[in-house]
Amino acid sequence: MGFQAEYCGVVNIMEYQRYSEEGLRIIFGNTIDLSVNKEVRRYYLYLKSLGIKEIIDIIPSYCSCLVRFDPDAITFKKLISRLKNEEAHINDFDAPEPIIHEIPVVYGGENGPDLSFVASYTNLSEKEVIDIHTSTIYTVYTIGFMPGFPYLATLDKRLNVPRLETPRTRVPKGSVGLAQLQTGIYTYESPGGWQIIGKTESMLFDHTKEPYCLMMMGDKVRFISV
Amino acid sequence: MIEVVHPGIFSIVVDGGRYGYADYGVPSSAAIDLFALKMLNAMLNNPPSAPAIEVIGSGFSLRFHSDITCAITGAKVDALCDGKSVRSWSSFEVKSGDTMKIKDIIEGFRYYVSFSGIMDIQKIINSFSTNLECGFGGYKGRPLKKGDIIGLSSPRIERSSTVPETMIPNMKSPHEINFIKGPEYAYFESESLKRLFEKNTLSCYNVSSKSNRTGIRLEGVPLLFKTGVEKSIISEGILPGTIQIPGDGLPIIMLNERTIGGYARLGVVARADRDLLAHLKPGDKVKLKMVNESDAKLLCKRKTKVYNAYTKTKKEVPK
Repeated sequence: MGFQAEYCGVVNIMEYQRYSEEGLRIIFGNTIDLSVNKEVRRYYLYLKSLGIKEIIDIIPSYCSCLVRFDPDAITFKKLISRLKNEEAHINDFDAPEPIIHEIPVVYGGENGPDLSFVASYTNLSEKEVIDIHTSTIYTVYTIGFMPGFPYLATLDKRLNVPRLETPRTRVPKGSVGLAQLQTGIYTYESPGGWQIIGKTESMLFDHTKEPYCLMMMGDKVRFISV
Repeated sequence: MIEVVHPGIFSIVVDGGRYGYADYGVPSSAAIDLFALKMLNAMLNNPPSAPAIEVIGSGFSLRFHSDITCAITGAKVDALCDGKSVRSWSSFEVKSGDTMKIKDIIEGFRYYVSFSGIMDIQKIINSFSTNLECGFGGYKGRPLKKGDIIGLSSPRIERSSTVPETMIPNMKSPHEINFIKGPEYAYFESESLKRLFEKNTLSCYNVSSKSNRTGIRLEGVPLLFKTGVEKSIISEGILPGTIQIPGDGLPIIMLNERTIGGYARLGVVARADRDLLAHLKPGDKVKLKMVNESDAKLLCKRKTKVYNAYTKTKKEVPK
């Protein structure tokens, strides 16, 4: 585990690591942890606000930020020194407050085909599963897998369920699913292996209208049973 | 205006890619062979990232409703246009009413078709590329179908141009794919990695028929994880060409449709070799070869040189 040891336990102290010809990983930790994720968010929003034109994309996730740059426009060395110079200003940056989104969900039945499995697996009633799922305020740790898909954590431990052994070939748009200690919302119909407990009509991603994405990393989500 | 008479096995509209929204999970969905796209647009005097039709399979056929110049790059194909034989990497004039049909694919897998004039398609999130999984971008967010009509803005005739054979990349199997070490390279048994680079058939992979536009799956001897290493990682951003190794040890080369991933990343295909990924068809043999960043940069430079040489000769032709 030599590689892991290089950045093990250095939460809050950033490490820059080259990733291929046009990638730079900025590592903030190696655990799923809200305080680490907050650091990633602050850094990501700050970097985004700079609008550095040689940067093609910034992908923030649980505990790192991937910067994809244009290697024909800037060298890795120059980019690193540019970003290191910015470090001093990050703490002065006023990161916008996260937005709280309320998402109405119809639980169970054909909208949530796995609700009964989740209930029996966790020794809870369906109503208890819904009560627990709606009583937590979740954080958007990252967005990905498909446009606008929020990875929401942390799920109450009582709802920790495995993924489906055989993923479904079609999960409908709007489906609300569980996987380990995460919950998420399918923004488009797609194959998927999460346990589906409900469905929302909320539009999380609209490719026809800016800013396209309803949620941003770091936002908060509360589900409401309707 | 052009009309789709037959879509081949599969055809979609693509361009240089959709960038700037990966933080919202929006992938680039770019043409897989970007070199072919750039050369195609250079042949037709279109902007370098202008849209084209990316096609798999023979039988693809178009009817033209304007007098324009048409060209095909990427895979080497034999085609018929108005009864005359035409081929890829050489542009040709077409008249309104002509029909072009791809008869045979000689070498490679995906080919790119475009015209002198920009396809009249709505840009979605700053790109013409089709995001197939979400059904947006490209032509109505879907693959082309028989009877589809695509308008062309500023259609015109361009002087015909042929790309010299020496400038056309090799697309034959076995493919040698250069890659740069990835963040989880050290997760794998050194014996297992050593075998990967041995010069024998055991170290060769076959392209699986389960491959698609999201990822190329390879079949062969699985890579072994070191004991005690977590087989998945906390989901993190990935680059196109990332070689992911899931629990079964068989590589998946990610193309342009994902922004984050949760599998160990053995490496990333060198930028210069990512174009070649468009031509890995089921059953082909693949040999992975590790290079460092400066080798990869040289490979890129060589490709840029070819492009520059071609565009230069094109400019020298008197109008």
